[in-house]
Amino acid sequence: MNYEIVEIFAIALFFISLFGLITSKGVIKGIVSMIIMEIAVVMFFLSLGFQTGILPPIGAELGDNVADPLPQALMITAIIIGVAVTAINMTMLIALSRQFKTTEWDILKKKNME
Amino acid sequence: MLANFVITPILIAVFLYVFASAKAAKIVAIIAQTAFTGLAVYLFFQVKQYGAIITSIGNYESVMGIILRADTLSTVFVALTAISFLMAALYSYNENEGKLFWFLLFVWQSLLIGIFLTRDLFNVFVLVEVAAVVVSVLIMYNRDNRSMYDGMFYLMTGIIAMQFYLFGLGYIYRLTGVLDMEVAAEILSGLDRSSLVLPYALIITGVGLKCAILPLFTWLPKAHGSPSAPTVVSALLSGVHIKSGIYLFMRVQPIFQELDASGFFLVIGTITGIAGFALAICQTDIKLLLAYSTVSQIGLIITSLSIGNEYTTTGAMYHAFNHSLFKAALFMGAGILSKVYGTRNITDIRGVFRRFPFLGCVIFLAILGITGAPLFNGSISKYFIMYGTTWYITWLLIFINLGTIIVFTKFSTMLFGRFEQKEVVVSANAKRKGETDFHHRDKTAKLRNYAESIPVNKQVAIAILGLVCFLGGIFGSEFITFLFNVEVSVDAAGYLEKTMIFAVSVVAGILIYRYVVRDNAFLKRFRAIDFGFRGTCAAMGGFFAAVLIVLGFVMN
Repeated sequence: MNYEIVEIFAIALFFISLFGLITSKGVIKGIVSMIIMEIAVVMFFLSLGFQTGILPPIGAELGDNVADPLPQALMITAIIIGVAVTAINMTMLIALSRQFKTTEWDILKKKNME
Repeated sequence: MLANFVITPILIAVFLYVFASAKAAKIVAIIAQTAFTGLAVYLFFQVKQYGAIITSIGNYESVMGIILRADTLSTVFVALTAISFLMAALYSYNENEGKLFWFLLFVWQSLLIGIFLTRDLFNVFVLVEVAAVVVSVLIMYNRDNRSMYDGMFYLMTGIIAMQFYLFGLGYIYRLTGVLDMEVAAEILSGLDRSSLVLPYALIITGVGLKCAILPLFTWLPKAHGSPSAPTVVSALLSGVHIKSGIYLFMRVQPIFQELDASGFFLVIGTITGIAGFALAICQTDIKLLLAYSTVSQIGLIITSLSIGNEYTTTGAMYHAFNHSLFKAALFMGAGILSKVYGTRNITDIRGVFRRFPFLGCVIFLAILGITGAPLFNGSISKYFIMYGTTWYITWLLIFINLGTIIVFTKFSTMLFGRFEQKEVVVSANAKRKGETDFHHRDKTAKLRNYAESIPVNKQVAIAILGLVCFLGGIFGSEFITFLFNVEVSVDAAGYLEKTMIFAVSVVAGILIYRYVVRDNAFLKRFRAIDFGFRGTCAAMGGFFAAVLIVLGFVMN
C-alpha cells in the first residue's frame, strides 16, 4: 500500500473528527471525536515512517525498505498521553453528569451560568 | 545541568507527597522554592556572563537527542517562573491546602520550566499536554459547583489544540527530518514558501489557543476566573502559565521565517486587545474582570511582537515580564478581598483604603503598573511598545491602554468609599424574624478578626510583587538592559509626551467610566458572552482556515 493513501486518510479523519466535535451535542460523543482525532494524528505520523529511499538511522546493511523508527517512538508517547487524558475526561464526565444530571454541552453551559 | 532544573521540582513534589506531612510540606515547599529561585537567578547570571548553555540529554551528538538550551530569553522566563512560584508558596503558606496541592504545584512548575528550556518540538507537545492535565486538576481543586465544567472545558480545548500542533509537527518532521527548533528553522528557510503554509497554520492554531488570541480565548476566563480555583492558581495561570503560550509563539515564528505572518497577527492582536478590555468592562466578578484584562494585555503583547522593530519586541518581552508581576499581585489582592468581604462582586466591595490601608496601597501600585502610569514598570514597557510605530498603530495602542484604564477605574472603585457593614443588614433581618442573632454576631466577629489581621505571609508576598512593579519602572531601561541584553534608553521628551497622553487618558477613562460604563444596562448583556465548547471547536477550525487562506492566497 502506498503511504500517500494513509496520509490522505489521516487528514480526512482529522477533519471528520473536528466536524464531530463541532456538531455533536453530547459530551461523550465529544470525547469519542477527540479520541478519533488522536488516532488520525497517529496514523499520519506512521505514514511518515514509510517514505521510500530514506536512509536507515541505525544498522548499515538493512536494505532499501526500512521504516523510520522515530515517528513510532513519538506516537507511543502520544498514545500514552491520550489514554491518560481520556481517562481523566471520563472521570470528570462522571462527576459532571452526577452533578448536573445531563451530558449535553448546551445544557451544561446553561446550568453552569446559574 | 539544565535537565536538573526540570527534574528537581518533580522529585521534590514526589518527596513531599510520599514522605512529608501536610504541615511539613509547606515548610519544605518554601525552603525548596527559595533555593530554586536562587538557582534560577544563578543560571541567569551564568548565561548572561558566558552565553547560552546547551545540554543534550543522553549525550548524543548534534540533533539526535533532545536538546535543552538556556539563552537570555528562556532564563528570564525560568527566573520569572521561580520567583512567581516562590511568591505563590509564600501566599498559600497559611492555607490548609493539603499535600496534593503542593505536589501539583511543583509538577506544574517543572513542566513550565521544561517548556521554557527545551528546544525539541515534540518535547513541547508532551510538556504542554501534561501541564493541561495538571492545571485542569488545580482549577477544580476546591470542587465548587462550576469547577468541573471549567476544568473539563479547559482540558478538552487544550488537548484538541495540541492535536493541531502535533499534526503540524508531523509535517515539519517530514520536511526536515528533525524535531529541533533551530535546525528545523535552518532547513525550512531554504524551502519553498507554499509547502510551509499548511504546517504553519496547524501549529499556530495550537499555539494561538495557548496564547488566547481572539477567536480562541473562551477557555481563558473560565480557567483563570473560575471561582473554585485557589487564588494562587489563578495568579500563576495569568502570571506565568499564559506566558508559556507567548513564549512558544515567539519560538515558532522564527521557524517559519519565510512566511511573514506579522501583518495577520498585528490585526489579530489589536482585535484581541480591544475585545479583551471591552469584555472586561462588562464584568462585575472580580476574578473574571482580571481574567478578561489578561486577554487584553495578551493582545497588546502579540501586537507589539508583530510590529517587528527591535524596540517593540524588547518592549513586548518586558511587558510580558511585568504583566506576570502585576497580574499576580492583582489576583492575590483580589483573592484576599473576596475572602475578607465574602463576595466576588466588585460593586459590593468598598472602602479597602479605609479598612486595610496597606493592602489598598499595594493593589494601587499594581493598578498603576498595569495602566502604565509614569514611574511604574508598565509605563516603560508601553513606552517601548509604542516606540517608532506608525501613527495609526500608536493610536490603536493608546486606545487599548485607554480601555485598560477604564477597566481598572472600575476595579479601583473597590479601594475608595466607605465600607457598609453587610453583617448589620443580616442581623437586622434576623431581628425582624424575631431570632436572636448570636450566630450572625459570631460570624461578624470572626470576619472582623480575619479582617483586622490579613496574614503576614500574604502581605509580604503581595508587597514584594507591588514593590517590584515600582522598581521596574524607576530603573526601567537598566532592567531591560540587565534582563534582555538589549541597550535601550528612555528619551526624556518622548517619555514626557507619553506621560501627557497617560494623564489625558486617565481623565478620559474616568469620565467614560462615570458617564458611560457605570450602571449601563446594555453592557450587562455582554457579560455572559460564551461560545461554549462546540463554538470553541468551530473557532479553532475557523482560525485554521483563516490562517490558511490569508497566508496561502492573500499574502502570497
